[in-house]
Amino acid sequence: MSIVALNQLTKNYKQNRGIMNITFTIEEGEVFGFIGPNGAGKSTTIRTLLNFIYPTGGSATIFGKDVVKHSKEIRRDVGYLPSEVHYYDDMRVIDLLVYSEKFYNKSNKQRLQELAERLDLELTRKIEDLSFGNRKKVGIVQALLHEPKLLILDEPTSSLDPLMQNVFFELIAEERKKGSTIFFSSHILSEVQKMCDRVAIIKDGQLIQVESIEKLTKNNFKTVMLTFDKPTKPNIDLSGIIQQEAQGNHIRLLYSGNIQELLQCLQQLPIQDIRIEEPSLEEVFMHYYEK
Amino acid sequence: MIFRREMKRNLKSLLIWSCILSGLVIMMLSLYPQMAADQQAVKEMMDVYPEPLKKAFGMDKINFGSILGFFAIEVYMMTTLVGSIYAAMLASGILVKEENDKTIEFLLSKPVNRSEIVLHKLGAVIANLLLFNIILTLTSLLGFQFADGAAYSGKVFALLAFATFILHLTIAAVSFLMSAIMRRTRNILSLSLGFVFISYFLNITAGVAEKFAFLKYVSFFKYVDAGDIIVHESIRALFVWIMLIVTVLCISTAFMYYKKKDIAV
Repeated sequence: MSIVALNQLTKNYKQNRGIMNITFTIEEGEVFGFIGPNGAGKSTTIRTLLNFIYPTGGSATIFGKDVVKHSKEIRRDVGYLPSEVHYYDDMRVIDLLVYSEKFYNKSNKQRLQELAERLDLELTRKIEDLSFGNRKKVGIVQALLHEPKLLILDEPTSSLDPLMQNVFFELIAEERKKGSTIFFSSHILSEVQKMCDRVAIIKDGQLIQVESIEKLTKNNFKTVMLTFDKPTKPNIDLSGIIQQEAQGNHIRLLYSGNIQELLQCLQQLPIQDIRIEEPSLEEVFMHYYEK
Repeated sequence: MIFRREMKRNLKSLLIWSCILSGLVIMMLSLYPQMAADQQAVKEMMDVYPEPLKKAFGMDKINFGSILGFFAIEVYMMTTLVGSIYAAMLASGILVKEENDKTIEFLLSKPVNRSEIVLHKLGAVIANLLLFNIILTLTSLLGFQFADGAAYSGKVFALLAFATFILHLTIAAVSFLMSAIMRRTRNILSLSLGFVFISYFLNITAGVAEKFAFLKYVSFFKYVDAGDIIVHESIRALFVWIMLIVTVLCISTAFMYYKKKDIAV
């Protein structure tokens, strides 16, 4: 059974663009990335899954239960970290975490202490006085505290410093080992590359592709860097070339297709040097975004 | 949980409002003995007031010299109006504040129904209003001690206390509905206070001129007019029913609306 399943999920707003016919599934134990530029519909999708907003079409299930009808049951086993963390300004960190804990009817003071220690979070400070990064840490502890089966993280690493990002990824890796499923959105591609098994790409409210990271980066795409003895116009004619641009004496290609054909084509060119490498996810996604 | 949290969060404002209003009640009632001692002067003073003004504030029906009459003019008017302001402020903020401060994202991600959220918050509003009214009633009774055993009808006093509470409750229910519908707190305070003041103003207008008498049906303040309660020793059942129905309608609409609301912060 899929942990999360979206079926033609649609949310139309009166004016703003929402999301259109999103369909994908997340399997148990998976780390699933959700990638798209700002305003693509990542948060809208997540909010629909958590029933903050109601879908205008299609449906979605979490743990096999409908997200609208069984929202409360679902949320018992979900940990959610919003992209912008806002808490009650009259509370201290510990007050908020205890308040949060009470909703789940289970208290684990030891885990609370441990998480706070690892994230270097002072429990007695007023939330009001915390920086964005520190508030985010409160959000992370709050999402992990009740050991949820599914973690939904909306741009989890924004405003965390690199050191804390590492701690965060360690924590996520531990949750995964325990069998949790993780769904996180991001527009920072390197972290998706580092963490995820599969990724869904969304743009302008529409799902563009769901692909395993491996496939995205290894099988399909190559970046080819060609060096000539003089500046050359980027007009190599080959069907698999997605993008080509000149940079002085160099031409940079993003290629997806048969390697033999590529080599044959390149043989005829007066190249002085060549470098073929795996493209970064950035390059792959830029291509998707531009489509 | 949410109920406890709301009680705690609103405790300070409950204490401040109760203390200030109680202080005023005691202060007013402490003036009664002087008034009672000099009935003649009071009567002369009242006679000087123009008739419409007396009508506007319902002073035409009330004997200012009796302790309840004095209470109705000096204290009841204050507790109904100021209390309504408190009720409006309390209820109008309670739901929309979470959205405005974006803390609703936290609350909604917990295993809790929308209806539970509304129920707990409504419970907190009613509990706060009850406490507020109990404090006011007790203070008034305490203030009556200044009257040195002047006789008054316990039934009428109880009716006045009940009327104050049900007025506060109705105002709170209307504000609560607004709180469920609105998304930002920017305008809600002006809206709910505006509602209280317009209601109060209509009540006065209805009292001044005969041709505006129909306005009494649109002002909750007129429903709980002290003069009528004292003269008839009862509240018109129709008015109580209207207020109860408005309260129930507002609250159930708030529940239904909030359940279906798209909450994106």
